Amino acid sequence: MSVPLVSAAGLQLGYGDVPVVDKVSFALKRGEVLSVVGHNGSGKSTLVKTLLDILQPMSGTLDWQDGKPDTIAFLGQRTEFDNRFPIRVRDLAAMGAWPRLGFLGRIDAECEYQIEVALERTGTADIADMPLHKLSVGQLQRALFARTMVQDAPLILLDEPFTAVDQSTEAELLSLIDEWSTEGRSIILVLHDLSAVLEHCNSALILGKGNSLFGPPESVLTPENLVRFGYLSSSQADWLEAMHSKAGGRHV
Amino acid sequence: MFEWLQYDFMVRAVIATMVLSFSVAPVGAFLVLKRLSLAGEAVAHAIVPGIVIAFVVSGLSVVSMVVGGLAAGIVVAALASLVARMTIIREDASLASLYLIALALGIFILSAAGSAVPLQSFLFGSILGIDDETLMLIGVTATITLVSFSLILRPLIMSTIDPVFYESQSKHPGLVTQVFMFLVVLNLLGAFKALGTLMAVGLMILPATAARYWVSSITRYLMLTFLFALASCWAGLFISFYLPDVPSGPAIVIVAGVIFFLSMIFSPQGFHVGARLNLFRNGSKPVKHSRSNERDEPHEKTV
Repeated sequence: MSVPLVSAAGLQLGYGDVPVVDKVSFALKRGEVLSVVGHNGSGKSTLVKTLLDILQPMSGTLDWQDGKPDTIAFLGQRTEFDNRFPIRVRDLAAMGAWPRLGFLGRIDAECEYQIEVALERTGTADIADMPLHKLSVGQLQRALFARTMVQDAPLILLDEPFTAVDQSTEAELLSLIDEWSTEGRSIILVLHDLSAVLEHCNSALILGKGNSLFGPPESVLTPENLVRFGYLSSSQADWLEAMHSKAGGRHV
Repeated sequence: MFEWLQYDFMVRAVIATMVLSFSVAPVGAFLVLKRLSLAGEAVAHAIVPGIVIAFVVSGLSVVSMVVGGLAAGIVVAALASLVARMTIIREDASLASLYLIALALGIFILSAAGSAVPLQSFLFGSILGIDDETLMLIGVTATITLVSFSLILRPLIMSTIDPVFYESQSKHPGLVTQVFMFLVVLNLLGAFKALGTLMAVGLMILPATAARYWVSSITRYLMLTFLFALASCWAGLFISFYLPDVPSGPAIVIVAGVIFFLSMIFSPQGFHVGARLNLFRNGSKPVKHSRSNERDEPHEKTV
């Protein structure tokens, strides 16, 4: 197997001198999808911010085997997003290219093509000239996926990308994520809800109660572990177990 | 009709306000987009004591006025954010408290020092106040503003729409806001002579809010904001010339206000009164219409 794009062993993460989570270990190879699961405040966002260099690990280091990529694509939560800004879907997608174009670099033919492809693939080509405030939540999320595509990065971080998005949109966006992984891009998917999404992941990292566990999704995301890391209460886990035995024992 | 252009000071005022409009339009547009309209207002009052102290110390020197104004603006802005962070008072309340103190202090010093400049032109501007030095100041302000904007436009748009994304992609995420606030103070100083300290921020905010009703793309927004600012300035100067006791600042801001109200009433993104009246006239049932046309400006280049 190839060397990992990024790995960590015994990472301690936190804000300033307040530790949030300890002993985080994981490895992410090229073309793999890693899901990160955990209760509120378990350190999911802290991990994302550390990967983006906004925060520094309190101890331990992230190991970028082939050097840290110049661009890490990022799609965060929309809590601070201003959809009344007078700008079109097309420009929002183009924003993915702005960091590499710098202050004044023009959008050249190649970049223009990239934007068109991204609009096409995310199903936003026919709303490309619409201003953002007329979009539905699903359309806006598709447009943001187009921006993520235009970033053209070897590592893509998605923070709860399916919140408030309908099922059919979620399915289409998931197939995009699969496509990115076959292109050799690595994807980290922060998830709040356990869902079918997990079937698209190669590995899972669960954070909670200051601790973490990494491995294949079916061995990490067991009801016992979800209780142990404070993601589920034991009664929720029992209910889940009961559902499982009825359904024939598929993993969560 | 054009006799007002025979006067040298009016020609100066016409040119000065044109250059000023180029400069304040993008600043005002982003104050509105970044939801900082009221902070802009507060900063405008906060720079008053700086200008007054500079004036009392070294007379009508443009350089000392700029230094004093910038210093006061930066001190008040820094103090406001310090108070908000370290004490229980929130940012808006601390900014409001500090700018009121600053404004009172400025007027107090100006009156106590027995200034030769009438208070009215200090507060509300005077078209007679535009001398060579002021023209230079406006020219330099516009140059710095436009060059800076061409550099920070993309970061500024990005940090306004999606601050979380901007932080993830930028090495110095705080820098762009600091540069922008510096440009706000600089432009307030540039607009000071023509509009006065109380009215300067009006030329920034009103054309920008009025223009927002008509466009949905950033390029057109900046252009229309400029046109509204320019129209307000020239019409305001005209009024101020024919009504000699009317200072230029309020005249300009009232014209900008009229444009704002007309935009609010008639634009598709405002109350859209024209369309509603037509519906009644045709006797048809009031159909629920889209609040603006579906595909705005389809042929524009990608930003």
